[in-house]
Amino acid sequence: MNSLLEQFLSEARDFLQGIGEKLMQLESDPTSHELMVELFRFVHTLKGNSGLFDFPEMTRVLHASEDLMDAVRNGRVNYSQKLADQLLDAMDFVGMLMDEIEATEKISNKHAAPAAELTKALRNLLTASEAGSESSEIDDILNEITQTQVAENSIDWESLPTLNLPEDIAEQLHAHSLRGDSVFWVEYTPEADSFFKGEDPFYLIRQVPDTEWRNVVLNSTVENLAEMDVFNSVASYQVLTHAPAEELEDLFRYIPDEHRRIEIPALAFVKPSGNTDEHAVDEDFIANVFALFDKGETEEVTRTINTMLELSAPDLWSSSALRWVLRLIEREPENKAAQRALLESLRTLQSPDWSELKPVETVTTIATAPPVRNAVVSTSNGSNSVVDEKMQYFNEVINAQREILNLSGFNEGRLKSVGASLICCYKSIGRSQDVDSLELAIKNALAENSPTLLLKWLEHSLENAPELVVAEKIPAPVNNLAMQNDVKFGRRAEDAAGRKADEPNAVTASKTLKVDQEKIDRLMNLIGEMVVAKNALPYLAARAETVFGVRDLSREIKAQYAVINRVAEEMQDTIMQVRMLPVSFIFQRFPRMVRDISRKLGKEVDLVLEGESTEADKNIIEALSDPLIHIVRNSLDHGLEQPDVRIAAGKNGTGKLLIRASQESDRVLIEIIDDGKGINPEVIKHKAYEKGLIDEATLERISDQDAVNLVFAAGFSTADVISDLSGRGVGMDVVRSAVEKVNGTVGIESEVGKGTRLYLSLPLSMAVTNVMIIQSNKQIFGVPMDMVVETVRVPRSQIQSIKQKQTTVLRGRIVPLLPLNDLLASNMPQLPNENDEFATLIVRVHGEHVGILVDDFRETVDIILKPMTGILGGLGGYSGAALLGDGSVLMVLNPRELM
Amino acid sequence: MAIEFKKSLAVFTEFVSVEEAEGLLEWLLKNPKGKINLADCTHIHASSLQVLMAFKPTIVHEPKDADLAIWLKAALAS
Repeated sequence: MNSLLEQFLSEARDFLQGIGEKLMQLESDPTSHELMVELFRFVHTLKGNSGLFDFPEMTRVLHASEDLMDAVRNGRVNYSQKLADQLLDAMDFVGMLMDEIEATEKISNKHAAPAAELTKALRNLLTASEAGSESSEIDDILNEITQTQVAENSIDWESLPTLNLPEDIAEQLHAHSLRGDSVFWVEYTPEADSFFKGEDPFYLIRQVPDTEWRNVVLNSTVENLAEMDVFNSVASYQVLTHAPAEELEDLFRYIPDEHRRIEIPALAFVKPSGNTDEHAVDEDFIANVFALFDKGETEEVTRTINTMLELSAPDLWSSSALRWVLRLIEREPENKAAQRALLESLRTLQSPDWSELKPVETVTTIATAPPVRNAVVSTSNGSNSVVDEKMQYFNEVINAQREILNLSGFNEGRLKSVGASLICCYKSIGRSQDVDSLELAIKNALAENSPTLLLKWLEHSLENAPELVVAEKIPAPVNNLAMQNDVKFGRRAEDAAGRKADEPNAVTASKTLKVDQEKIDRLMNLIGEMVVAKNALPYLAARAETVFGVRDLSREIKAQYAVINRVAEEMQDTIMQVRMLPVSFIFQRFPRMVRDISRKLGKEVDLVLEGESTEADKNIIEALSDPLIHIVRNSLDHGLEQPDVRIAAGKNGTGKLLIRASQESDRVLIEIIDDGKGINPEVIKHKAYEKGLIDEATLERISDQDAVNLVFAAGFSTADVISDLSGRGVGMDVVRSAVEKVNGTVGIESEVGKGTRLYLSLPLSMAVTNVMIIQSNKQIFGVPMDMVVETVRVPRSQIQSIKQKQTTVLRGRIVPLLPLNDLLASNMPQLPNENDEFATLIVRVHGEHVGILVDDFRETVDIILKPMTGILGGLGGYSGAALLGDGSVLMVLNPRELM
Repeated sequence: MAIEFKKSLAVFTEFVSVEEAEGLLEWLLKNPKGKINLADCTHIHASSLQVLMAFKPTIVHEPKDADLAIWLKAALAS
């Protein structure tokens, strides 16, 4: 899982919790504007964050919640219990999605429908409340939702689109439908501004698989062609397909509001078409066929119709109808009613109204789910079976509701929806006499905030009406439907149960622990003190030996010290790990930034990030963020050229910007490499001279590399025009000081025409510093080990004076020597040892070696460097102070500032 | 450009993107009797499709891409 997503999930959980808490608080203080504003902010942020990822379902629900909260915040909608319930439901849903994302990193498309439902409910709440008649409408919505769920399997003929299909296509679709493939009618009407969102509706609709028929219509006729707005989408796209519903859902998951999908029953395709001007069949023929049909002599009917078809023109309406009769006889031999209706239509030359065949058809359609097609077709014995079927589904719904009631945790909205479903169910089987007592039970249950009463009523009602339980004995379709119901009603419970079953110990709680940074800092300080205390032990051992002369004790103390040392070091390491952050933390903002800036500048840039998982201390990473942004901006603005310039220079038109992080022993190295025009030392020299940064003599003799380094000088800028990106001359020196503040170094290498490489080298951690202790003028000082190149003893005879400066030649190099006492302005000469040699510390300052003369070297120690504060903070020569094991204070020098 | 405009013939090739729609509209306004050759076209962005539907110009060559051909037939027939 990528770290951005991880961060999102951990934050989102906090937000969800916050939203829950705020809603709870609002319940006790429903008028608090402050709480509402805060609540809105939570939802708003969460929505914004979710938009970063490809989770349309989540974003959609959050978006609706946000709109609702916005309305509440502005007083357009009153806060109510129902609103809170709906919002909590929505947040539960989001939480469930997050669990799924955490487990699988994606959201399966089965959530699209519940998401759309929730969104609709939230939106309805908005409009209902705004219309003023809040509560009743909400109840309507609840009813509507439950009813659509209950009645999903019956067909609403009215809502079916009018199909005028060529007979061959209709025939194929009819066959598909009977074979059990659902045939869907999909109508997609994109929003008018969809082209601006980068959508191509035509492309999308062409992706629908297994399309048998398609059509495009313009929604409005274009009156004046000259004024046609080509960027306004005005078309509707329609297809008939037998692709699986999931595939369609997946395809249209981003635009649930802009498309309509209707399952078309097989019979809807049976629609004869053709020329109705001529009557090819007379009443005699029709009567004849009916006579044969009623006797059940199917073969004879087929033969007669075939003869008739041979005699009449194929493009007649009646011929088409006859062909359909034959198909029905062949494909649905049991569906006598349909065949009869079709034959009947020969008299009127009007397609039969299939909705009148409703009961039969209902069963047939349900039967498209494989096993049960045979069951109930003929009208003679049909009624009984239909009732059985009905009871079976009734039981399913009841069982599902019972399960919902048994779910742990009470939820008012849930109880209401269960209640509404139950009322509908009882009404549908004609037991209206139970409805009154049922309503009473729901009311009581609501008053008690517990589903128990409703459950009891249900059990009681079922016990007293044994006929209601009959269908439970029919197992197969029951399970099927039960499953569907689970998906719809009990999805949360099911998810939770499923997870429990899979991994018994899994708790949904996130594995990351959020800790206040202060606590970590305190731990850090404590371990620092521990290190100091630990460092006291060697002193103690030394005292035991020298002062008290107990050697054995000294040895034991040393052994004990070794153990404590190991533990302390490990502990220190672990705490450092806690503070470690991957550089991706700052890198992840670059793609967007580079994209935006390069757009603005009209440049084409290919950004490559490497080593994003390299880790460093939090403070270092944070300190790095601003300098890096500066550098990247500089590279984009000054480094990379416009595409045409690049191409003219024989380079690829697209510039390359590489940002690479790597670890080098105990330092992090960050390089920013571009293949732009590089830095021309001549230009830099002259600019620096113009700005008075260097004098004429320096101008003449400065090396190219040194010239390039001038970009780090304060007040330097090459840009003639100040843009909003860079050119104010506070760029690189700010970068340098920011980096040096955390003990880092920055360098630049550039080749004209080839590009520039900037590198930052930073310590992995600033917490513990390894220093060498030196002695001078009877005091001890620390010098950071990472600056020390070597320690040598230089005999007095080898020190030469050039002008007033002392120097020596070390390994063929002239090294300037600076007595520490002079640097610290204490007028004491350095003391040589008995062989007249001076202890010399060779340090590296700005890439050059310098020797510092001291009186003597001591050991190196790990210390926790505390920067100096207050008045002492202004002392430039020291980088800080530390406490030593023997309780004394060690001043740590900063040679860079000292010279 | 995925549309090559000749005197009285526009030749569509491969993927006709959203950027082409405006040019197509202008061309069709200037050449009301302009004909369209779609032989080598594989897809037309919905914006250009709408223009074709509004103008219903003569198609001299149907697309070789069978799926697109079927779609265009349906779109331009109604």
